[in-house]
Amino acid sequence: MKKSDDTNDKWDVQLRKGSLELVILAALKERKLYGLELLKFLHGFETMVITEGTLYPLMDRLKRDNLISASWVQEGEFRPRKYYQLTDNGEKKLSTLTSRWRKSVEDIEFLLNNPGPSLIHKKGS
Amino acid sequence: MHNRELIHNYLKSLGKYLSRLDKADADDVIREIESHIHDALEIQEQQDCTDGVTTILEGFGQPRELAGQYVEHILQGTPPPTGFKAIQSVKKGVTFSLYVSMGLFGFGITAFLVLVGFYKILVPNGVGVWSVTQGNSIIITFSEHTYPNSTELLGLWLIPLAIGFGVAIGRLTWKVLAILKEKR
Repeated sequence: MKKSDDTNDKWDVQLRKGSLELVILAALKERKLYGLELLKFLHGFETMVITEGTLYPLMDRLKRDNLISASWVQEGEFRPRKYYQLTDNGEKKLSTLTSRWRKSVEDIEFLLNNPGPSLIHKKGS
Repeated sequence: MHNRELIHNYLKSLGKYLSRLDKADADDVIREIESHIHDALEIQEQQDCTDGVTTILEGFGQPRELAGQYVEHILQGTPPPTGFKAIQSVKKGVTFSLYVSMGLFGFGITAFLVLVGFYKILVPNGVGVWSVTQGNSIIITFSEHTYPNSTELLGLWLIPLAIGFGVAIGRLTWKVLAILKEKR
């Protein structure tokens, strides 16, 4: 049982690694969030639990790639927080990644729904 | 007090490892993480959670490893920004004009020297290398009259020397052009 749990963890880690950029961009769609807020938001999803040490450097890279922008906001008596939001480039990237993600899920679903033994080709591909 | 010290030490250490970044960028990173830590501590207090600052810092990882992720792109070299193509084509243009001028220059000298050599064969007194007395200059001249106050240096040796140098420079130019062409 333990072994199978480990394998699941590894799969989660690999999957998260590949999809994290999409996850962050999707989380920021039509939202303006600061780091901690974004982290807690993601922790609300079973498969999206990442650490601070993963999130912040990634945000830095996305900002350098001009997919997100950041601005410091001082709200009342609170200490200033750095808010992130999508740039136009980020929106475009998100829609590209979204369609690739959906295509990928669709293909996997098709495979799962069409076991062998004969090879069935998906229509339109 | 204990928390304050832990946070201070962590951020100080992080700052040290971020020194490859611009000062402003490094300060921004530190400020954001500091803000996060204090916010997270407040949340802990509100929830009566006793995890403490250590748990939060663990989430960030070791300062050196965290800083490493921020600095990585500098060590690897950032991908060229958009609009870089324009710069590349300008560079290509420069290389092209360099290529042409190198060719003109090299083969020009070759043509001149070979011409001098053959001219010397046809009209031995019509061309020569002269050293001006009391001066440091050497003159190659096409003239029917000897240059005043000067002595001819090479005489007929000018023929093989001029042609030889001419051909050598021509070959050298050829090789340089071949290399330039490869680089383009």
